Amino acid sequence: MFHFDKRLFVHFNWALLLNTLVVIGISLINLYSASHTGYFGTPPYLKQVYYYLAGIGLILFLIGMDYRFLLKANYLIYGTVLLLLLAAALFGKTTMGAQRWINLGVIKLQPSELAKLTMVITLASYYCRQEIGKGFGLQDLLAPAGLLLVPVLLIAKQPDLGTALMLVFVFVSMTLFAKVRWQTLVLLTVLILPLIPLGWQHLKPYQRQRVETLLAPENDPLGAGYHIMQSKIAVGSGQTFGKGFLAGTQVHLDFLPERHTDFAFSVLAEEWGFAGSVFFLVSYFLLVFLGLKVAQSARDKFGVFLAFGVTSLLFWQAFVNLAMVLGLLPVVGMPLPLFSYGGSSLLTNLAGIGLLFSIGMRRFSRSGAGGKG
Amino acid sequence: MRQVISRADQVTEAELLTLKQRIRYFTVAMVALAAVLVIRLWYLQIVSGEEYFTLSENNRTRLHWLSAPRGMIADRKNRPLIANRPYFNVTLAREDAPNTNDLLNRLAQILSVDVNELLDRIREGEDYPRYVPILLKEDIDWKTLVAIENHLYDLPGIRIDVLPSREYLYENLGSHLFGYLGRINEQELNESEGGYQRNDQLGKLGLERIYEKQLRGEPGRRYLEVDAQGFEQREVSVQQPLPGSDLKLTIDRDLQETAEEALDQRAGAAVVMEVNSGRILAMASSPPLELNKFIGGISTKNWNEMQANELKPLTNKATQGQYPPGSTYKMIVALAGLTEGVITNDTPFFCNGALAFKGRDYHCWKKHGHGSVSLERALAESCDVFFYSVGMRVGVDKLALYAKSLGLGVPTGVGLENEKGGVVPSSEWKKKRYGQPWHEGETMSISIGQGYDLATPLQICLMTSTIANGGTRYRPQLVEAVMDVDGKVAQGYEPIVDGHALGTAKSLAQIRTGMVAAVNTPHGTASVARSKTMLVGAKTGTAQVVKVEQYKHLKEKDIPYKYRDHAWFTCFAPAEKPEIAITVLVEHGLHGASGAGPVARKLLKEYFKEGVDIKEEVLIEDE
Repeated sequence: MFHFDKRLFVHFNWALLLNTLVVIGISLINLYSASHTGYFGTPPYLKQVYYYLAGIGLILFLIGMDYRFLLKANYLIYGTVLLLLLAAALFGKTTMGAQRWINLGVIKLQPSELAKLTMVITLASYYCRQEIGKGFGLQDLLAPAGLLLVPVLLIAKQPDLGTALMLVFVFVSMTLFAKVRWQTLVLLTVLILPLIPLGWQHLKPYQRQRVETLLAPENDPLGAGYHIMQSKIAVGSGQTFGKGFLAGTQVHLDFLPERHTDFAFSVLAEEWGFAGSVFFLVSYFLLVFLGLKVAQSARDKFGVFLAFGVTSLLFWQAFVNLAMVLGLLPVVGMPLPLFSYGGSSLLTNLAGIGLLFSIGMRRFSRSGAGGKG
Repeated sequence: MRQVISRADQVTEAELLTLKQRIRYFTVAMVALAAVLVIRLWYLQIVSGEEYFTLSENNRTRLHWLSAPRGMIADRKNRPLIANRPYFNVTLAREDAPNTNDLLNRLAQILSVDVNELLDRIREGEDYPRYVPILLKEDIDWKTLVAIENHLYDLPGIRIDVLPSREYLYENLGSHLFGYLGRINEQELNESEGGYQRNDQLGKLGLERIYEKQLRGEPGRRYLEVDAQGFEQREVSVQQPLPGSDLKLTIDRDLQETAEEALDQRAGAAVVMEVNSGRILAMASSPPLELNKFIGGISTKNWNEMQANELKPLTNKATQGQYPPGSTYKMIVALAGLTEGVITNDTPFFCNGALAFKGRDYHCWKKHGHGSVSLERALAESCDVFFYSVGMRVGVDKLALYAKSLGLGVPTGVGLENEKGGVVPSSEWKKKRYGQPWHEGETMSISIGQGYDLATPLQICLMTSTIANGGTRYRPQLVEAVMDVDGKVAQGYEPIVDGHALGTAKSLAQIRTGMVAAVNTPHGTASVARSKTMLVGAKTGTAQVVKVEQYKHLKEKDIPYKYRDHAWFTCFAPAEKPEIAITVLVEHGLHGASGAGPVARKLLKEYFKEGVDIKEEVLIEDE
């Protein structure tokens, strides 16, 4: 599984490294502003530095590992994560009404974060073993849909709607990428659309309220509309060049309750304005672009699927978070990858970046599973 | 697995190529979605930027928490014991105070305090986020309040917070039961649920802590719009607080007062219990906590003083004080003897003042002996030799079973924090605790409630109550009901039976007869509780603290305080149909009858009021 070859380093993706470092740098500066006051003990921005250091170790490990090992181990990984999700459901710690955490003594693990990357690995392994031909029909989709539904239901039960939706997004992206027949696609759309009102019935009241709030936040400015209104005020009041580092008023008045986690981007937008926000978004989506390039240059089908899956996961998390912060989507509890505070999310996404490095470096190695060089 | 991979490898170049080509579509789709975000940003920041900037500058919303009025604590007759009154506190919102120095000078004048005092408060609060108000002065009077309100315009950032706080209607009455409130600390804040804020008060001890959830209610919220200077512009919305529930205790105010007054600052405890329900009518621990010192946080100096005090005011002696039960333990030995068939009501033992065992004399308190005694007189006159003899015949392990069946050896479950369980020794217990076998001589000591025996006053009261009601062990209860805001019972507490005494109703009746004899026969040790109109049953106890030969020859008043014996008195009444059990312990009170007896007598008088004539002065023959 581990094999080093000089050529591996020749193909090291320096652009991806540089881009990742830029995003991390901006993230830390921003977290410092969001969390340098008002915390006891280690402030979040400092903890995040430790997580980044751990993440770099994880990336180095993944660079050393041949990504094709995951193809062998995928069901083992899938099974383990399912067990962890079950454990979280049974013995997990409840914070803010959701059972998401398993306490491992030193660290608190959030298995639903692991589930995201696991879904990518599982689907990549599954699709790369299939003959696609003219595209998947309805029957071909039953097995992968099953692989998706088990973790989705476990996570939705927690309840963590954001992560559950994220798995569905990744599934749809990867399945469309693998190719689905036109007829099947139309059929599915016709079948699923009427189900949406049914799903609405099953949402928890607070989840339903969030959607209603999005449609008309001014109806309830201090209830559920509070986050969206305050976030929009923070972003909007940044104007062209922002209020300056550490000078955001919205941010430091506690108007943004989750300002270092889900709403971290509003802090940046308020303090650095449109100019800073666009600079950040460009460097951020450049990361996505580089990820797709890795997929394009991958050596084998598994590599293509894996790189595409990791990238789409990164993209959808970012898109949902940003759209939420900018008042385009309901508040679902979704951190901005590599940017928001939070160990589990950060490590998961850095692991994804690590896989991209691993795939990119082995794009010309033609040997079999062991990477004999 | 290798085959799978090689199959993956066999995918034709063409198939891989079409797959890779499809990436383009996805790239385009992602760029398009990213563009949506940028357009939205442009709309928010450039197009509507000025509007939002104005909103953020001039229309800041402030959230003020409205604390809910805390529930009252009332006695069994619904007479309030602890209520609330508003405290007016002066706070500072730093972000609204551009020039703190000027401001503090002006404020110090109005409050007539030294400005450094205010500066100290600000320094303490510096680590908090700027929007958290700093408490500058608690509980200002009405005149100062008016003065500040009048100058509010010159005092930007200064606010008056109205904080309902505790008002103790009877000073320190029941202090150990009720406990006190204190400012929430960092750990409590992190572990709390239900919207606690910094500066909030919460129950730190006793019923205030245990019933915190019910007493507290739910805080309300008031959203205000303030301008850039921090002046309130308008109220955006209000969510009224939900007042806390009231506690209706089983305590009777008059009895509680009587108990505390009768203990009169001596170290000790008194418990009054309804024998047919386990409800506690009074539970006093003396000396009391000075509750008013805890309002707004207790100072280190006061705290250290309390900790150093030899009378241990911080301990609730009724539930946390463990003492050798002394002669009050003899009822257990009697019950074991009768039930095990070692004695009958009439079995005589001869007391010549001591019982020799393995070359050692175990003395009776009465130097020249009681002569021939059987159960009734043995209890009445507390003959040690009688109980040595019975205890030795029953054996330590059997004794332990009977003690436990009367509630000794484990906490009673009254529901106060840190309740102690005392010690009921057995051979197994000793092996576990000291790794040594049981010596028979030790059975002698425990038969008269010395040696390893330890019990709390509440346990002795529970034991007495169980004997009095014919053998049912009720769980002691302090709270009768939690009453909601409308005065309806939100949760009632019914009596709970925890167990039954080992032994027949007949044996228990014989023991009660002995206790009645202790009060009403000429040589009874408990005649202090004698009444002309009602029969009372009682038992005195004297618990040796140390066995120091050097004090033996001294007169009692010359023995140093901490080496004096503890005094017990436990009783029930009326003897024919018992209603209440009373137990009194006075630390280092020397003798049961003279040290603790008068307290019990006052409680009997208070409970039975005019209907009963308990004599004032009695000749006491002490054990």
